[in-house]
Amino acid sequence: MSLPLTRKDLMIVNMGPQHPSMHGVLRLIVTLDGEDVIDCEPILGYLNRGMEKIAENRTIIQYLPYVTRWDYLATMFTEAITVNAPEFLENIQIPQRASYIRVIMLELSRIASHLLWLGPFMADLGAQTPFFYIFRERELIYVLFEAATGMRMMHNYFRIGGVAADLPYGWIDKCLDFCDYFLRGVVEYQQLITQNPIFLERVEGVGFISGEEAVNWGLSGPMLRASGLQWDLRKVDPYESYNQFDWKVQWQKEGDSLARYLVRIGEMRESIKIIQQAVEKIPGGPYENLEVQRFKKEKNSEWNDFEYKFLGKKPSPNFELSRQELYVRVEAPKGELGIYLVGDDSLFPWRWKIRPPG
Amino acid sequence: MKTMQQGWLSNWLVKHEVVHRSLIFDHRGIETLQIKAGDWDSIAIILYVYGYNYIRSQCAYDVAPGGSLASVYHLTRIQYGIDNPEEVCIKVFSQKDNPRIPSVFWIWRSADFQERESYDMVGISYDNHPRLKRILMPGSWIGWPLRKDYITPNFYEIQDAH
Repeated sequence: MSLPLTRKDLMIVNMGPQHPSMHGVLRLIVTLDGEDVIDCEPILGYLNRGMEKIAENRTIIQYLPYVTRWDYLATMFTEAITVNAPEFLENIQIPQRASYIRVIMLELSRIASHLLWLGPFMADLGAQTPFFYIFRERELIYVLFEAATGMRMMHNYFRIGGVAADLPYGWIDKCLDFCDYFLRGVVEYQQLITQNPIFLERVEGVGFISGEEAVNWGLSGPMLRASGLQWDLRKVDPYESYNQFDWKVQWQKEGDSLARYLVRIGEMRESIKIIQQAVEKIPGGPYENLEVQRFKKEKNSEWNDFEYKFLGKKPSPNFELSRQELYVRVEAPKGELGIYLVGDDSLFPWRWKIRPPG
Repeated sequence: MKTMQQGWLSNWLVKHEVVHRSLIFDHRGIETLQIKAGDWDSIAIILYVYGYNYIRSQCAYDVAPGGSLASVYHLTRIQYGIDNPEEVCIKVFSQKDNPRIPSVFWIWRSADFQERESYDMVGISYDNHPRLKRILMPGSWIGWPLRKDYITPNFYEIQDAH
């Protein structure tokens, strides 16, 4: 039985929320003409957990375990920004050692996230072995994180004023071993992938985004840097002692997929450089600024006033946010992660808006 | 000099007799202005032509439970290799019963999803937005979740707590 060929109708295909190979939940309604994609409508919201609404009812310390779940591939960045926002609000200084530890953790997290980008990227192109290699490297990073923070992925490590616990004895040597091993690993990826003619043919010239379009669409991070703009938040507004290390912003001019690939591989190399420098120069000293754990000193009113704070028992230390608003940002591996925090004179923020990267 | 530079946008607007209110600078020294919804169209184009080519983030919140709604835009100028970029923060207020603010999608494309999220969560509808649908909640949801007076349906523990 032969069916009439109707080549004029466009076919609408639903690529449902679940995907194999770690793409996350994203529903795409794709309009196809033969094999060319004409129109694509993404439907989001499958992973909406109400994080912003929850934040309005939690103190910062209570909220920290939630934030690692925003971006579970690069967890330290979410924690860094959750802790940076109140620190900027109240002008809290953190000790140098804490800043260096944070930088090391953030750069390790950046490497982990770029590795997990590389795996599904190659799997989409058809090469399925790098997917296993990256998990081997990521496993080493997990082990380092577990030694320092206690959890492999969802570490609750950063605190307002520093980090929760100091690095254990011998962690720095293990970290340097990892850096040496990983530099050799990156060379292996270069040999396997970058010079591969099949890879180049599929990736060069594909998906071109010009610089102006990238800025207009609000891209940030490696996608912006691959289109010719040297915009890296670690250099543009330096935070967390990044200006004490010697490293370069990775960027490319072309704006196609190959450029984005090269930017991310280059960023992994720069992260290793930063980690090696930070580990050499790490100072001693305290790792947490414990002064921040006090209540803001307020004059207590008269005993028969409406506002009298009757302290029945000693309350646990809490951090009060003043009535100001502020927008802080970090350079997460996917782009610019920002928090717009509107404080109330209370423990809970009035509005906690997360500006997602990418 | 930093103090002279901040506040320049406010002075410029006063010079051109645009009614606006300059709020105090936010904590990092970024100039914050409040603009009326009727003027927002033209001022957005003015800012784009001046050079603010990047909407950093766009969010919406309600100023007081039962009060007015605010839509906040952070704009930056991205250029090749500069330090300390210029930034400005614009707030557009609207009343609660029929909140409508002109959309800036046609000027800055990144406002697409961000305005949809503001519509979904707080209820501000943006005129001239090409596809203003709910983005995070399912399409048939009733209510604006991030408002302070929102009651979560079927969530009895929270309702009892209030």
